[in-house]
Amino acid sequence: MRRNPFVYYGKKALIFLLSVFLLSVTVFYISRLAPGDPLMSYYGERVEKMSVEEKETARGKLGLNEPIYIQYIRWVENAIKGDFGISFKYKQDVMQVIGSRIGSTLILGGTGFVLTFVGALLLGILCAWYEDRWVDRLLCKGGTLLSCIPEFWLSLVLILVFAVTLHLLPGSGAYDVGYKNNVLNRIEHLILPLVIVVLQHLWYYAYMIRNKLLEEIGADYVLLGKSKGLSKRKIMFRHCLRNVLPSYISLMAISVPHVVGGTYIVETVFSYPGIGALSYESARYHDYNLLMVLCMMTGILVIFCNMIGQIINEKLDPRIKATEVVETSEVTEL
Amino acid sequence: MEELLKIEKLSVGIHSPMGKVQAVRDVSFALHPGELLAIVGESGCGKSMLCKTIMKLLPKSAKIEGGRIIANGVDITDYSDKDMRKLRGKLFSMIFQDPMTALNPTVPIGKQIAEAILIHEPKLPKEEVYHRVIGLMELVGIPQPHQRYKLYPYNFSGGMRQRSIMAIALAAKPKILIADEPTTALDVTIQAQILDLLKEIRTKLGTATILVSHDLGVVARCADRVAIMYAGKIVEIGTAEEVYYDPRHPYTWGLMQSLPALNRGAKELKTIPGMPPTLIDPTVGDAFACRNEYALEIDYHEQPPMFKITDTHYAATWLLDPRAPKVVPPIGGRGHV
Amino acid sequence: MSEILLDVQHLTHVFRLDKHAVIKAVDDVSFQMKKGEILGLVGESGSGKSTVARCIMNVYKPTGGKILYRDIDIGDKAQLRKHRKMLESLRQIIFQDSTSSLNQRMTVADIIAEPMSIHRMRPARGSLRAEAEFQLSYVGMDASYLDKYPTELSGGQRQRVAIARALSMEPELLVADEPIASLDVSIQAQIINLLRHCNREHGCSILFIAHDLSMVEYLCDRVGVMYRGRLVEIAPTAELYANPRHPYTKALLSAIPIPDPIAERSRKRIDFDEVSFDRDGVLTRIAADHFVLMQEEV
Repeated sequence: MRRNPFVYYGKKALIFLLSVFLLSVTVFYISRLAPGDPLMSYYGERVEKMSVEEKETARGKLGLNEPIYIQYIRWVENAIKGDFGISFKYKQDVMQVIGSRIGSTLILGGTGFVLTFVGALLLGILCAWYEDRWVDRLLCKGGTLLSCIPEFWLSLVLILVFAVTLHLLPGSGAYDVGYKNNVLNRIEHLILPLVIVVLQHLWYYAYMIRNKLLEEIGADYVLLGKSKGLSKRKIMFRHCLRNVLPSYISLMAISVPHVVGGTYIVETVFSYPGIGALSYESARYHDYNLLMVLCMMTGILVIFCNMIGQIINEKLDPRIKATEVVETSEVTEL
Repeated sequence: MEELLKIEKLSVGIHSPMGKVQAVRDVSFALHPGELLAIVGESGCGKSMLCKTIMKLLPKSAKIEGGRIIANGVDITDYSDKDMRKLRGKLFSMIFQDPMTALNPTVPIGKQIAEAILIHEPKLPKEEVYHRVIGLMELVGIPQPHQRYKLYPYNFSGGMRQRSIMAIALAAKPKILIADEPTTALDVTIQAQILDLLKEIRTKLGTATILVSHDLGVVARCADRVAIMYAGKIVEIGTAEEVYYDPRHPYTWGLMQSLPALNRGAKELKTIPGMPPTLIDPTVGDAFACRNEYALEIDYHEQPPMFKITDTHYAATWLLDPRAPKVVPPIGGRGHV
Repeated sequence: MSEILLDVQHLTHVFRLDKHAVIKAVDDVSFQMKKGEILGLVGESGSGKSTVARCIMNVYKPTGGKILYRDIDIGDKAQLRKHRKMLESLRQIIFQDSTSSLNQRMTVADIIAEPMSIHRMRPARGSLRAEAEFQLSYVGMDASYLDKYPTELSGGQRQRVAIARALSMEPELLVADEPIASLDVSIQAQIINLLRHCNREHGCSILFIAHDLSMVEYLCDRVGVMYRGRLVEIAPTAELYANPRHPYTKALLSAIPIPDPIAERSRKRIDFDEVSFDRDGVLTRIAADHFVLMQEEV
């Protein structure tokens, strides 16, 4: 069946916009339901000294007294103009706050993402190749064990060992004071958080690749391949891996938020100045404007990546396009 | 006539959690150039395992425990996987029961056939490969090969897929084709077409064929010689005429009697009582004895040897021993159908 | 003329593939089944024979046409509700894949007794277990199997348990959807004998769906041939096998392998040209009880 690409992508875009709209409504509403007085975060200690009238004027000034849908519409209006309001805590434009942090997270998350998936692919192939031999068993058992350890605990152990005891690597921050533009210094700071991010997700994906490969290896067409004289290497790389990759790539796309989001805890533990640590703080200080934008960013990332994953999957795997073999039945096109 | 393939006293064991399964026990036979030998038996009798043993495609848990496989005059019993790779496709290749799963779903059909050609002639120029693929597709009766070259397996019906698999198997002009239940998953009309194709290929290319099947009707259509397998052993082997019209083993009798085509108008189909043994722990005596209404005392103690009936016809039953009581076969003769 | 048990009238069932395509799995199929008859339904995979069975069992709701079971229109909601209990116990089905049609977590005894306990039937032999034991012995298995699970049984035994379960309700109509397709030759014969016994001794009518034409010839009184959702020919077995009229039936019959090497080698198979298939014919009577799909004569 031939699809009109405009209709196809148009539909996807529409679904995307609808999801984003629903997300924004939810995020906005929930942030208003959350406990804690936003005035507190804006004025700090001063709130307690304010009279009721003063509080009212302050609320009015911040637009907190109007009905929630008016507040929402106003927020959207400003958002479209690129104005997401002012961070209550940082007393700065929200986008500025985020802009100063996002680079660090992208570096950590991006590198972590690439390393995780390349590593998982290699490990998965290695395990499948040596199925049930000692390499495979060791990696599977070790991986299961490692992925069971909570990341914050592992982070603390690594900090204790490498930073506090051995003084080999720095244990917090993205760079040392005065070394902001020193690449080497930044890399040094990146190592420990990166190790945690990668270790946390590596096994899950490696294990998945391994099992998917083994599933393919058990298929009949592998037997046919062998009987026509193909070598194990060619069967593995030309046939099995080829069949596994589309689903792996789409999974990679879907996992972007998962892996990048995994940096949040790591950033907090390592005091790494990224989006994760920022989210944590904004939630703690009821910094609505900031929190909403961060939620929206994460949400849009999730929706977008899922959609990309779906598209990749449909493009790469010819099987998905085929509805079913129906040669013997009467198919009528409507 | 020289033998293309000779199996001598071959035994294969599979290690399972429940114990060792004697999948193939003491099997001997020979395959001559250009002939079609059918191996008939019920599921679990070891016929598929036997084929995989010849191709050395055994699962890790299975091992050859005795005997020899001599292909083209060379003993290949101890060949490594690397040595075997040179023979697979070239000397022998295999087609499988389920055409739906035996092709890689994400690779176009033409490419899968081309790959089989390139394994043994990697330096062949592209156009030549394409021509050969088209030639093979025509040989196995795939209409409009040029258009179908780029199609994926899911575009093909079961019969067309089985034809494609045959094209792959024949790509390097093997001397022996092993067909493991090639028509079981297909409709009757398609089955007839594929069987005719098997015959046609044998006449055109002179490929010797081992056809594994559970269906005596299918076998009758194309086999020159027939081997009946039960519980990992060949219990009767002979030319198709000998086995169909003059069967000697009680198991062969049982199989034939349970066929509706040989029982028209009968009130009841004859059945073989009981079930095949599991083959864990070797049985004492004849494995068929407990289901055999003609079993003699000796069947429970000692396995019968292969008795010679004619130069081509052998059967492993004590009934053929000169000392055994005379039993009139309940079935047989040219006119029984 | 004996009593008509099942009357299928212009049955049509359409599956929707997606927004743009539908499959006519069953297209204007009509036939009748008499009480005590074994009717065979043959055809290639995808010809719609299983869909017919499922419509008869109320698994699928037909897109068009009518199915009358003893004059009850089973497509009619009110009538169906009224007679539901009776219909559910009188019609039973067995499937090809007994591995998946039996609950793996129930013992054989529970499987066989389940329909009886669902319908709160008073077991004639004291307890449900005794009833299960009786049914099991009827299909040729002893009481030692009562506490086993389906996974511990062989394919043939599982199929017998499925039959025992169906028979426990003493059905009037047994729909057997490819019951022997995945079994070995000698085991197939056992199941066929069992079905025949049910029919001869208990008068149970059987709709036998299969692609093994030689078994159908042996077992069935009448045979219907389906092709691409249409019933192309229906006739008494001997008549159909001796005198096939529709080109597809001819091709189908010529393709049955016979276990006779000399005869089989020289036999020519008749090819059926798919393109020439004419869907729009009408089932026309050409001899007593022999109907063929052909173009209406103007």
